[in-house]
Amino acid sequence: MRRTVALALVSFAVLGAPEARAQTRGAVAIVVNPSTAVDDLSLLELRNVFLGERQFWGDGSRIVLLVRAPVAYERDVVLNRIYRMDESQFRQYWIAKVFRAQVSSGPKIVYSNDMTRQLVAALPGAVGFIAAGDVAADMKVLRINGKLPGDPDYPLR
Amino acid sequence: MAQSPLDVHVLGFADIDYLETDRAGVDDGFFLGQLVGHAAAGLSERTTFFAEVSATARPDEYRIEVERLILRYDFNDALKVSAGRYHTPINYWNTAFHHGLWLQTTVSRPEMIRFGTRFQPVHFVGVQVEGAFPATPLGVGYAVGLGNGRSEDIARGGDPGDVNNHRAWLGQVYVRPPSLFGFQAGGGFYLDRISPEQEELLGLSSEVDERILSAHVAWLRESPEFIGEYAHVSHELRDDGEEHESDAFYAQLAYRLPGRADDWKPYVRYERLDTSTADPVYAPFDLEYEGTTAGVRFDFTSLAALKIEYRRERFETRDWFNSLYLQLSLAFGETGGEDAPIIPSTDHGP
Repeated sequence: MRRTVALALVSFAVLGAPEARAQTRGAVAIVVNPSTAVDDLSLLELRNVFLGERQFWGDGSRIVLLVRAPVAYERDVVLNRIYRMDESQFRQYWIAKVFRAQVSSGPKIVYSNDMTRQLVAALPGAVGFIAAGDVAADMKVLRINGKLPGDPDYPLR
Repeated sequence: MAQSPLDVHVLGFADIDYLETDRAGVDDGFFLGQLVGHAAAGLSERTTFFAEVSATARPDEYRIEVERLILRYDFNDALKVSAGRYHTPINYWNTAFHHGLWLQTTVSRPEMIRFGTRFQPVHFVGVQVEGAFPATPLGVGYAVGLGNGRSEDIARGGDPGDVNNHRAWLGQVYVRPPSLFGFQAGGGFYLDRISPEQEELLGLSSEVDERILSAHVAWLRESPEFIGEYAHVSHELRDDGEEHESDAFYAQLAYRLPGRADDWKPYVRYERLDTSTADPVYAPFDLEYEGTTAGVRFDFTSLAALKIEYRRERFETRDWFNSLYLQLSLAFGETGGEDAPIIPSTDHGP
């Protein structure tokens, strides 16, 4: 019950106030499975997660990385702001990563914000991204550099 | 990334080459390089199996070789324990590109870590503990291994067992700072006692203690791209303590052109391999080498490239040779991710 209230409050902070909702326009929210014991990551830490350099959360659970398929605005933001790669570099990066036996597979590809929502809720350790305007009340949204998608200077937009 | 049981992912690499050279005894013309298959299978959330197999054209057959075969258990980011056959993790190139020629900028590996070289052990059979601390400012990582060391043919790993019952130790430490994505620097060591097959031929009455120290620095953001490696090999004869020192290094620079020319990447590499002429382990093999490479890579699709390369090189300070290489290299298979599992809908409303 307490967790539901907390998630609802976070979601209100992301979406609730009209002025905040205006500021979420174009923002991409980082969402995790509600059981994940992390609330806040720096952009560098988030980059480590999305690059597969960090493969476990602090509680020892394995990170399950969800990435939108091309072509999607959210994917463009993540490739530009987190990966700093274009599509071809992204593909080459994961081929090399798997071939070097640093990971056993690339990210799991999702095809819609709705699919991201379902998978993040269902898979322990899952982390994905979604248009901030599509964040549902029961989703856990991470602060990035201490900012939520509705905040000024939020880095993922 | 996590996986469900029996989750198998397959990658492949291939290359088709052409060579013109004035080097005596080397055939010109078209040739097939290697066809390489790589599989990664998640056996449980923390247990993964990796395998790399190559098929190489020989005059009378295709030679099939298990290049890597690794079973690994991941406790966490800092502790991963594995067993199997590896590319010896004391060099950068050896574990960054493996047999995937499409991954590397140039047509071929540097001479000091060329497949089949006797200068350093390219393969390693044993156990390995590795890990990384990606949340630290330097992004420190490490690997420690214990294995069979070199075979009697020192170009090969000890696949069927340890020839002298003296295990090899290796270690590597590197930094990969999160704030400098694409940068890596590190060093490694390798300690073994070897029993080379030329022992009787050269009148060697003892085995040889081998110590290798290595260092590398790499910046792979492509504009520019730089890789430099150094290795120092020391051989000490067990009977009289006579020591021989050898060194090798290469420096490779490439630059992905900007704007509409970004499919093109020119590159140059200079490399040397200075071996002690009195070293009985190396003496029969003409390992001394100096070479300069200049070329351009053209990525005509995101998974295939044409490389055109000129190489000027000499062995044992004899005559210089000039060669022109063309290579088509490619990757295929699952690239850039896998489809997520389908979660059955829990909606039951109208």
